[in-house]
Amino acid sequence: MDYSLGNDQEMIRKAAKEFFEKECPKEKVRELKEDPKGYDPKMWKKMVELGYVGLVLPEQYGGTEGDFVELAVFAEEMGRNIAPSPFYTTAVLCALSLMEFGSEEQKKKYLPKIAEKGDVWSFAQTEEKGDYEADEIQLKAEPEGSDFVLNGTKLFVPFATAAKNFLVVTRTADNDDPKKGISLFIVDAKSDGIAIELMPTAARDCRCEVAFTNVKVPQENLLGDLNDGWKIVDNALQYGAVTKAAEMSGGAQAALDIAVNYARERKQFGKSIGSFQAIQHTLVDLLTHVDGLKYLVYEAAWKISQGTPSKILNSMVKAKANEVYHNVGYHGMVTHGAIGWTEEMDIGLYHLRTKVNQFDGGGTDLHLERIAGELENLEPDYLKLYG
Amino acid sequence: MDFLFGEKEEKFRAEIREFVKENMPDGHVHHIFDEENYDEEWDFAMSMARKLAERKWLTIAWPEEYGGMNAPAWQKVVFGEEASYWGIPGLGMGVSGTGWVGPVLMLLGTEEQKKKYLPPIAAAQDDGVWCTGYSEPDSGSDFASLQTRAERVGDEYIVNGQKVWTSCAHRARWMWLACRTNPNTEKKHQGISIIMVDMKSEGLTVSPLRNFAGGHVFNEVFFKDVRVPVENLVGVENEGWTQLMTALQFERGTAIGFTAMSRRLFEGLILYAKETGEMKKAGVRSKLAQLAIDIETARLLAYEPVWMAEKGMVPLHQASRDKAYSDILSEKLTRIGTELVGAYAQLDILHKDNKWTKMNGGLEHLFYHCPGLAVAAGTTHVQKNIVGQFGLQLPRSY
Repeated sequence: MDYSLGNDQEMIRKAAKEFFEKECPKEKVRELKEDPKGYDPKMWKKMVELGYVGLVLPEQYGGTEGDFVELAVFAEEMGRNIAPSPFYTTAVLCALSLMEFGSEEQKKKYLPKIAEKGDVWSFAQTEEKGDYEADEIQLKAEPEGSDFVLNGTKLFVPFATAAKNFLVVTRTADNDDPKKGISLFIVDAKSDGIAIELMPTAARDCRCEVAFTNVKVPQENLLGDLNDGWKIVDNALQYGAVTKAAEMSGGAQAALDIAVNYARERKQFGKSIGSFQAIQHTLVDLLTHVDGLKYLVYEAAWKISQGTPSKILNSMVKAKANEVYHNVGYHGMVTHGAIGWTEEMDIGLYHLRTKVNQFDGGGTDLHLERIAGELENLEPDYLKLYG
Repeated sequence: MDFLFGEKEEKFRAEIREFVKENMPDGHVHHIFDEENYDEEWDFAMSMARKLAERKWLTIAWPEEYGGMNAPAWQKVVFGEEASYWGIPGLGMGVSGTGWVGPVLMLLGTEEQKKKYLPPIAAAQDDGVWCTGYSEPDSGSDFASLQTRAERVGDEYIVNGQKVWTSCAHRARWMWLACRTNPNTEKKHQGISIIMVDMKSEGLTVSPLRNFAGGHVFNEVFFKDVRVPVENLVGVENEGWTQLMTALQFERGTAIGFTAMSRRLFEGLILYAKETGEMKKAGVRSKLAQLAIDIETARLLAYEPVWMAEKGMVPLHQASRDKAYSDILSEKLTRIGTELVGAYAQLDILHKDNKWTKMNGGLEHLFYHCPGLAVAAGTTHVQKNIVGQFGLQLPRSY
């Protein structure tokens, strides 16, 4: 048992911390709120050059062969600075899906362009139901000659306006079990029949409605096996849950620091407000769970890095992150009093990201249900011992 | 980074489980404080303590020269987990001897004191059973305001006063007593000493304080001109406060045992929910999933101070954080757990062998005891004060 970061992990922590502090101060975050692109291509280019976008990809595909803990540590630092970027959808959801389920040809064709050139990819999954369950996938992909034709609408598609390609989750067959009959396609964003409209989201992180009308996709753009795409989605959700939770963990740590600093400095009744137990104990409760989240994230990431991922843990991590991030944002705001509600204070920037963070990588109820499903298969130690 | 125990530790875990299988009844669910409450439980606990002593597991943390095992940190963690998960009784030995009386004596005691007091503790003899006299009627969380007076007259201290909430005073042979040896000091933290009192002394009376659920764990202890030889002073006279802080560090320890005990109850609860069909209900599934997260969170937090100490860092507020979280989590676990047990949860814990009792009454037992646990060894609120002050560097709030 050892919670220490290894050398490479410590190096990436330090480098990422310096990078985001320099490249993404809060003025930049505020500036990007007004930018429909939702991210800064120059900063993204630098992330590509530093090898961050291909952090866990093999060298042969342009990556730097880091492990999943490095990815988590990097995401933690990105979240600490609430740095807006297409990292999560490109480098985690899309690149890792390509890596694990793509043909050799697909990997060679697409991955180096992501890792070395910074092609933005967008994972298009959510539809009108607005969740991450299989039964919401209604966008149809029907075979026509050597193509598939896509019809339907995806919502909350991240950075769709910047995307070179979409990874679209489609329904290719109807089935009593909604997890069957799902297929994923790599879709060129410039294809005819694609209409993109920006959705107004609180974090202004370029979430889009993307309508597909008779969009033709060549058969070779199928990722993995036809009708068996749910496992790709589920795999992306596992990685996504842990990476997003890592980002939220960093954000929660930073938001708590902001609240504690304010409580220390702000004086009322002749005292620093942090000396009042009502405030102090609230912050202490937050600290406990911020600490807890940090280690849950590391544990889940470490297990993935060891090739022994744990589904129950991945879900625990995301459900916990949702709760902690919400609590730190809310109580962080309230600790500030009225000033916390103004545009000038940083705490609000964190709180504005509560909802996008909550649903990226899966909402709380989704993960609690997954945990419960795993608990049903639990075999207690005491039964093992006595039989 | 590594989130698994090593081979050596897992081997030790398996060894403990073999011991459990040989010496403990199948399906045993530990009821905290029952060994203080019932004579037969006390005898079982002492017999287990002697078996543990044979393996040096009773004093797993003690140095070998005092009859301990001097186990490395993570091995102690494994022992703490297993002992609590399986509910091995006898480890408290009056909840203080092995925990803090022994370790503090090793640091501050004279050679004679070590020779006299340590071996009976390490061997789980009746003479090695200790109780701890800290709280008084008017000194609870404000411990330094204690008033029990030990006046030095010649070679003796004459002790007068009263202690309260003294666990195990009715079983103990010795008391570890915090008292005031100098009443005329500028600050209340000065003039305090620790002395060791023979519970058979004349003028000392133990009076049971039954708890609200009918159990006898606590006592009041009255001192009327109780004579204690000066050689029973621990460390330096009037410097007791810092010594007591050292003792409290040993007492607060980690929350490792608690999380393992919770896991045992939780695992039982999952099986129960499956058997009764409750596990099919969405609301139940959601609550149990949340508990699973809480227990895993508590486990990872509890390891943090161990890891820090191993790496040469100094844990500061972590033990307090984890104590407070354990308090909150016991309340939550038993609230959700007893809801699942349903109407049966109202059965009296003093009749745990009742044919209607579910899961050996473990959840109900903890339910009624968790308010007590929340105030023992520093209340939840006091722990949060410590975390606020030292973990968040906020101004002192009390």
